[in-house]
Amino acid sequence: MRIVVAEDLYLLRDGIVRLVEAYGHEVVATAATGPETLDALLRWRPDVSIIDVRMPPAQSDEGLRAALAARRELPGLPVLILSQHVEQLYARELLAGGAGGIGYFLKESVFDADQFIDALHRVADGGTAMDPAVITKLFSSGTSNRRLERLTEREHSVLGLMAEGLSNQAVAQRLFLSESAISKYTTSIFGKLGITDDGNNNRRVLAVLTYLSSSAA
Amino acid sequence: MRELGRACTGFVRAVVLMVVSLLVPALWAAAVALWLWWGGSPWSWIAPVIWAAIGTFALSRPVCRMFRSFAEKWTGTVVPGGYRQAEPVTQMATGYWWNGFSYSRTSRDAQREQRWRVWWSDPATWRDLRFTVIAPLTVGLVAAVPPAGVAVAVLGFSRSWLIGVAGLVVAVVSAPYAWRPVRPVAVRFLRPSAAMALADRVDELTAQRADTTVAQAAEIRRIERDLHDGAQGSLVALGLSLATAEKLLETDPEQAKALLREARAGAATSLAELRDLVRGISPPVLTERGLVDAVRALAMDSPLETGVDADGLPRLDPPIEAAVYFGIAELLTNAVKHAHADRARISIGRDKTRLVVVVEDNGRGGAAMRTGGGLEGLRRRLAAFDGTCEITSPAGGPTRASIVVPCESL
Repeated sequence: MRIVVAEDLYLLRDGIVRLVEAYGHEVVATAATGPETLDALLRWRPDVSIIDVRMPPAQSDEGLRAALAARRELPGLPVLILSQHVEQLYARELLAGGAGGIGYFLKESVFDADQFIDALHRVADGGTAMDPAVITKLFSSGTSNRRLERLTEREHSVLGLMAEGLSNQAVAQRLFLSESAISKYTTSIFGKLGITDDGNNNRRVLAVLTYLSSSAA
Repeated sequence: MRELGRACTGFVRAVVLMVVSLLVPALWAAAVALWLWWGGSPWSWIAPVIWAAIGTFALSRPVCRMFRSFAEKWTGTVVPGGYRQAEPVTQMATGYWWNGFSYSRTSRDAQREQRWRVWWSDPATWRDLRFTVIAPLTVGLVAAVPPAGVAVAVLGFSRSWLIGVAGLVVAVVSAPYAWRPVRPVAVRFLRPSAAMALADRVDELTAQRADTTVAQAAEIRRIERDLHDGAQGSLVALGLSLATAEKLLETDPEQAKALLREARAGAATSLAELRDLVRGISPPVLTERGLVDAVRALAMDSPLETGVDADGLPRLDPPIEAAVYFGIAELLTNAVKHAHADRARISIGRDKTRLVVVVEDNGRGGAAMRTGGGLEGLRRRLAAFDGTCEITSPAGGPTRASIVVPCESL
C-alpha cells in the first residue's frame, strides 16, 4: 500500500514509518504540520494515511481538520487517525459523512503491530476501525443505552466488535461462535436499528453511525 | 383596573416610606415636645436631647436596612451595605480573651467590647446617620404627597367639595410615582463609599489569593503523587523488563519474548495512566477546541442523558475555560453520584460582560456547599476570577446550578 504518515513528533513518525515498511508497505510522503498533511493527501492520494490529531502550527486539532478537508475533496479517502486520546466527538465528525475508510485509534494501538496493520488494511479497503475505548464509551453513555435496549446482550457484544471494525470472521473468532451465527446476529442488529441494505455495502459504518447520532445531543 | 392596582400599591409603599423616614424626626419632635411640657427651663433640655441622640444612633442602622430592603424588593436594585464584620475572639494561654484590641475576662465581654469598637469605627455607621437626615428631606417629602392628598381630601370635604376632589386627584395621580425616589436616593447615599468599597475589595482579593495558592499547591501535590505512584513506577518496571529480556535473548529466547510482551503491555498501561492524569490537568478537547466542544464531549461520555445548548462562544482565557469546564464536570458528577439523576441539561450563554452557565438535573436534590466539599472547591476555583456559583437544590429536586463569570472579552 502507498501510505502518508502525518505526525509532528519525529521519533514517533520515524517509528511508524519503520513499522509499516517492515510490513512491506511504501511510505510515499510524511508531514509534520496540518497544511503539509493536507497537501500530501491531495497530491499523493494514498491508499491509506496515518494522521495525528494534534499538530503544529496551532497545536490544536489540525490533523483532524486536514483529514476532514481532504475527504471533502476526495470522498472516501481512507484515513486512520492516531491520537493520544479518543473522543466520541471526533469519531462522530469523522463518520458523519456515512462513508467508510475511517479509523480512529489511540497511539498505543501501534504497540500491537499485527492488529494495527490489520486495521490499516481494513481502513484502506473502505471499512471502519474504531478504538475499543470509543466503543466502550458509546456503550456506557446514557442516550445510546436507550437505543440499545432493543438489542440482546449477545447482539450488544457483536455490535461492539463490529463497530471496532472486525469482520464477521474475526468477530466469530473472538466470541467463539460460528461465522454463520454472527451473520445471523448482524442481520438482526441491522433490522433492529432500521438499517436497510440498499446496495451500499457499508451497513457496518451505518450501524456505528446510528449509535453516534443517537447519542448526539 | 390595573391603573388602580398600581395606584394602590404605590400608595401603600409611599405610606411605608413616609413612616420609616419619619421615625428619627418623630423621635426629635417628641424630645422637643417633652422639653416644652417640662416648661422650657434653661437646663431641662439636656435629658430629652440625650435620649433622642441615643435613639437616633440605635435607629439609624435598622432604618437604613429597611430602605435597602425596600429598594431591593420593589426595584430589584441591590444596594450593598458594606458593614464591617467583627473578627472572631480568641482565648489566650492565660485564659483571657483577646479581640484584637484588648483583653477581657470572658468571651462575652470581649465580643461586646469588640462589637462596640467595630460599630463606632465603622464608616458605615456615620454614613447611616447622614442618611437618616437625608431620607426625610428627600424620599420622605415626596412619599408624603399621596397621604397628604388623602388628608386634605378628608378634611376638605366638610368645607368645600372642590378642595376634597383636588386632594383625591393629587393622591391618586401621585401614588404610583411617589415611592420611586427610594431607588436613586438609596443608590446615591446608602452605598459604601469608594474608600470602604476599596477596603472590602482588598480583603476579598486577599482571601481569593489565599484560596488560589492553596488550591494550586494541592493540585501540584496531586499531580506529583499521581506521577510518582503511577507512570514513574511503571516506566521503571518497563526498563527492568527490557533489561532482563536483553539478557535472556541469547539464553532463553522464549522467556525473553514473554518479557517483551509484558513490557509492551506495561507501556500501554503507563500511557493510559498518563492520559488520565493529563485529562485531570487539562482535558485535550478543551485545549484543542475550547469550552463548548469540550462540554459537548463531556456530555457524550456522561452516563446521564445530557443535552447541551450553546451559542457561538469565542475562545476564552484558558484558565477561565478550565475552571468552568471542571465546574460543569463536578456538577455532572454530583448529579450522577448524589442526586441519582438520569437526565441533565447544560446551557452555556453570555450577555454583554458575563459568561453564564446553567446546569440542571432531574435528580433528588439536597445539594449543599460543605466546607471541603466538591462544591466548595468549585466555588473557590471560580472565585479566583470573581466568578460565582449559585445552587438551588430543594430536597426532592431538581438541582439547578448557575455559574456566572465576568468576562470583559465577551
